[in-house]
Amino acid sequence: MKRRWWCRLLGYALPYWRGLVVLLALVLVGIGLQALRPWPVKLAVDRVLDEPEAGVVWLERLPGAETPGGLLAWLAVGLVVVAGGVRLAHLFQVWFQTWLGAQLTYALGSDVFGRLLASSRAWHGRQRVGDLVRRVNADCTCMRDLVMGVALPIVQSVLTLVVVFVVMWQLDWLLALVAAAVALPMGLAIRLFAGPMTERSYEQAERSGELMAMAEQTLGVVPVVQAFRRETHEHNRFRQAGERTVRATLRALASQLHFRLGVSSATAVGTAAILLIGGHRALAGRISVGDLYVFLAYLAALYGPLETLAYLSSGFASAKGKARRVIEVLDREDALAEPATPHALPAPQPGPARAIAFDHVSFGYAPGQPVLERIALTVEPGQRVALVGATGAGKSTLASLVPRFADPTQGAVRMDGVDLRDLPRQVVRSQVAWLPQEPTLLPMSIADNIAFGQPDAAREAVVAAAEAAGAHAFITRLPAGYDTHVGERGATLSGGEAQRLAIARALLKDAPIIILDEPTAALDAATETAVMAAIERLTHGRTTLIIAHRLSTIRRADRIVVLEHGRIAESGTHAQLLQHAGPYARLHAHHDPPPGHAAAEEAHRRE
Amino acid sequence: MASTIRKYLSLAGYVRRRWKALVLIVVLTLLSAGAAALQPWPLKVMVDFALDDEVATGWLATWIDAAAPATIITWAAGMALIVYVLGVVLQISISWCWGVAGERMVYDLAADMFDRMQRLSLRFHARSHVGDSLSRLTGDSYCVYQACDALLVTPVHQLLTITFIALVAFQLDPMLTLVVLGSTPVLAGVAVWFGPRLKERSRLIREAQARVMSHVHQSLSALPVVQAFTAEPYSRQRYDQLAGDAALAQRRGAFLKDGLTMINGVTTSVALSIVLYAGGRQVLAGALNVGSLLVFLAYAGSLQGAFQKLFKTYGQIRTTEASVDRVLAILHNDERVREADDAVPLAEAVPAVRGRIAFEDVSFGYEPGQPVLSDVSLTVEPGECVAFVGPTGAGKSTLVSLVPRFLDPWTGRVTFDGVDVRTLTLLSLREQVTLVLQQPFLMPISIADNIAYGRPDAPREQVVAAARDAGADAFITRLPEGYDTVIGERGATLSGGEKQRIAIARALLSEAAVVILDEPTSALDVETERAVMAGLDRLTAGRTTFIIAHRLSTARRADRIVVVDEGRIVEQGTHDQLMRSEGLYYRFHRLQHDDAIAGDTASDGPGDAGASPEEVAR
Repeated sequence: MKRRWWCRLLGYALPYWRGLVVLLALVLVGIGLQALRPWPVKLAVDRVLDEPEAGVVWLERLPGAETPGGLLAWLAVGLVVVAGGVRLAHLFQVWFQTWLGAQLTYALGSDVFGRLLASSRAWHGRQRVGDLVRRVNADCTCMRDLVMGVALPIVQSVLTLVVVFVVMWQLDWLLALVAAAVALPMGLAIRLFAGPMTERSYEQAERSGELMAMAEQTLGVVPVVQAFRRETHEHNRFRQAGERTVRATLRALASQLHFRLGVSSATAVGTAAILLIGGHRALAGRISVGDLYVFLAYLAALYGPLETLAYLSSGFASAKGKARRVIEVLDREDALAEPATPHALPAPQPGPARAIAFDHVSFGYAPGQPVLERIALTVEPGQRVALVGATGAGKSTLASLVPRFADPTQGAVRMDGVDLRDLPRQVVRSQVAWLPQEPTLLPMSIADNIAFGQPDAAREAVVAAAEAAGAHAFITRLPAGYDTHVGERGATLSGGEAQRLAIARALLKDAPIIILDEPTAALDAATETAVMAAIERLTHGRTTLIIAHRLSTIRRADRIVVLEHGRIAESGTHAQLLQHAGPYARLHAHHDPPPGHAAAEEAHRRE
Repeated sequence: MASTIRKYLSLAGYVRRRWKALVLIVVLTLLSAGAAALQPWPLKVMVDFALDDEVATGWLATWIDAAAPATIITWAAGMALIVYVLGVVLQISISWCWGVAGERMVYDLAADMFDRMQRLSLRFHARSHVGDSLSRLTGDSYCVYQACDALLVTPVHQLLTITFIALVAFQLDPMLTLVVLGSTPVLAGVAVWFGPRLKERSRLIREAQARVMSHVHQSLSALPVVQAFTAEPYSRQRYDQLAGDAALAQRRGAFLKDGLTMINGVTTSVALSIVLYAGGRQVLAGALNVGSLLVFLAYAGSLQGAFQKLFKTYGQIRTTEASVDRVLAILHNDERVREADDAVPLAEAVPAVRGRIAFEDVSFGYEPGQPVLSDVSLTVEPGECVAFVGPTGAGKSTLVSLVPRFLDPWTGRVTFDGVDVRTLTLLSLREQVTLVLQQPFLMPISIADNIAYGRPDAPREQVVAAARDAGADAFITRLPEGYDTVIGERGATLSGGEKQRIAIARALLSEAAVVILDEPTSALDVETERAVMAGLDRLTAGRTTFIIAHRLSTARRADRIVVVDEGRIVEQGTHDQLMRSEGLYYRFHRLQHDDAIAGDTASDGPGDAGASPEEVAR
């Protein structure tokens, strides 16, 4: 972190300065009205009940205020007006504060989300989605915590203390000093107890986190617990962890109560001191009974702001923890930097196809663990290349370099001779349509799914793409046709249907380069035939990289590239490779079907 | 209403266990209410008798009349100190007692829920998510605290406070007391009116926030597609739009919530102003002294506060009810595999345990009317190895789960050496059945403890011997702390094959007659599988073995292959027999050999997991 984290965050608050000014104004009005609260009673006691003759000039100008009864009525009304005003100011403050806080949070969230969307797949591959979601949603509330939970309370508390002190000083300097003297032990209590309070509540959170982790572990392995008859043991473990949590919770409660005891005792002593000294001064005629009332009321009102101040450090600490996770994302060196001076892609050769060249490409997700090593491979426009190899050989990784989901650690990937890093990312990706093994559909209408990335595509174009993908027939059979909403992760469509939608999406994109990552591995044979026909239409005349394990698919390729441990072991046509008697021939002769092979399930489906 | 009461009563046991603390709380509350009623009095004494020269009446009269005003002031201040400090100490003691009692109630309840959860049959666990169970344990278990607070602690506290203050106030001036009490219906009405609306609002806020969250989740999960189709700007726009809606919902919620506070506050101040006016008139008329008026103003505030807290519990009871329902859904769940009252240990029922398992016309389903197994009959001889083959959802795992009684069949029975498993004690039955599952399911404890999970008292030599047989000893001793290495986040990270070998060692250590292997190698690659298979062979030697196999090569090693489809056994026999009969198994086999050449179907890039056969079948 180069700059202080809270300076960074306050930078996000600056565009909302108008709102913050309004909020501050509301706070000031609230504080002023709050200071007025004991005054109607004070005036009633002093001017009406104790010494009716010594009226306040402006009060007596009010109609009907000449008589004590009339004045009393006005003061009663004043009490309601002031109290109502305080509440109203508070209402607007909370309302506005919530609104502004949410906006600040989401402004930061939007930036973090945008950054995540632009990050490389290599990085995303190492992250857990749940953790990233938490950074966007939960951690971005650090913005609100900082502005509304730390900065605003500081302003509000300090201003309240100042205003109250000034008013008290006006009434009687000695009593004001007494009250201020009370604030000192309160401040001491804050210093003494704020640290332990924060620490212990943190400890409590730790313990209950441990308890939950323990419960999660056990409930996740219930068959093993039951099979090995360890229910009683696990129950005892839970009880022990629960006991530790209770202890930690009670320690946290104890430190809160210590704080309360400290501050409340100071208030009690202060009240008694004000009564003692104020009483004597009232007896001496220096102050009135009403003044005494105001002092007592103010002293009681001090507790709130002081308590707020005591909890600030824990609020600050939790905001800091969240902010660290947010700034981590914002400050991440973007592996996929946009070129400073973007090159233009030459106009495509006749026919919608482009050449891809891997120029001695090496790549790894972690240093020292290369996934690809010095891959040299050129795919001519319109050529169809199959990538073959075992798990971990690097097939998908190699293919993912083409739409620039990641940058090679060494070497370069070129599209029609231009290094991908010299092209704007959007331009690169607009040239590549990528069809993964598992079609990813988004929870929106079918038409929107097909037009994903091209929201302005005409409905006719969408329908045409669906027809070419062999999806039109089943789409029109759906209740709402193209406007049918796809359930989360495509739950309501079969695998073949979802894959055909993905193909329609790729067709609509009309990109010169197609990447197929085992697009039919998850399909049964009948469906596969239909999908393959659509794929034929999709790849026709385009440069195609296909990751495949099925012989039937591989055979159709112009060239087969066999990857082993991140290197190209051999390449050539099916016939050449069989003749060569290398790894391909061995794979071909391999008799034991692979683990988790789809074929077994598929056989069943052929019934 | 009656059902609500019954629900809350079923939690009464947890409250009753803390009765001592609750009695103490009531006593302290009584004292605290008294202290609260005393609080404004020192000021009154001072104002009336020292500053205003009223004539004192009552028990203090002789002393006050004799004392100089300055002395009265000093004494009043001293009294104030005592009353305030007493109030503070009592309040804090109450908080502490209630904290102790409440937290214990919560964790008693959580521990009981946890125990019930882990003993529930797999039928329950097949339906529920761990996350949901956890939120019941953490969040909903607080309902006992909230219920006790809303039904017992707060009402007692506030009612006592109200009674005390009202009694004293009535002594001072009955009319003004009635004025203050007159405003309570307004407060009650506000609580009743706002309660459900606030609930509705907070639901809307939660939903709006959930929409933002699920959009982020979906976009990031589908990131490859989002990036491939350059839909980042669209996705960001959608986020801003949903976030705007959520912010708006929060703003509306805040308005309503603070509106409640505001109406309460205004009601209170109206009552106060009436007291000020009416009381002031009486002071002017000489019927009341200034000090008493100040006492009244303080009382009016306290009474209103007490009533507000009291009425708030109405809303709380409603909110808590949802949590109580979720808690009771666990505590009253009877999907346990229950031991018969006259259950006998296996050793008593069977003189020599051999491990002959028979399914006799067994039917079973997780949901009524949707059988997963229909009339399955199968006998497995002691020491026999039977492989189950079939598509996902055929009922293979369900069938073998009946052996250790993770589930009980709807109809028919399962016998162990001829004895119905339902007549045996669970402990003795499960001692004789051990298992290795597709997921190794290790605990975050040391490797030695993991291996000895079923037999915590096993000596270290036996643990090591089991690890050696499982082929795990070599890599364990290479770890920095050997067998004492803790598995998990902060401990060693083991590969899938290593974990599975520890799971096999765990199964080896138990001296069970029956072994269940549920696709133990399907998550492993071919090379690792070979290392694991050796351990498995040692595990299954001489034991009755049920193996759910994915790979036909594994199934082929079994003495008998049972093909399951749609909850029925469709064919069985040896590999050769089944190949000859050219049924489903034959077609499986032919397919696995015909059309695949490469070493895998799983893709190798991060972030795009290959479809497992489970997904395929779905």
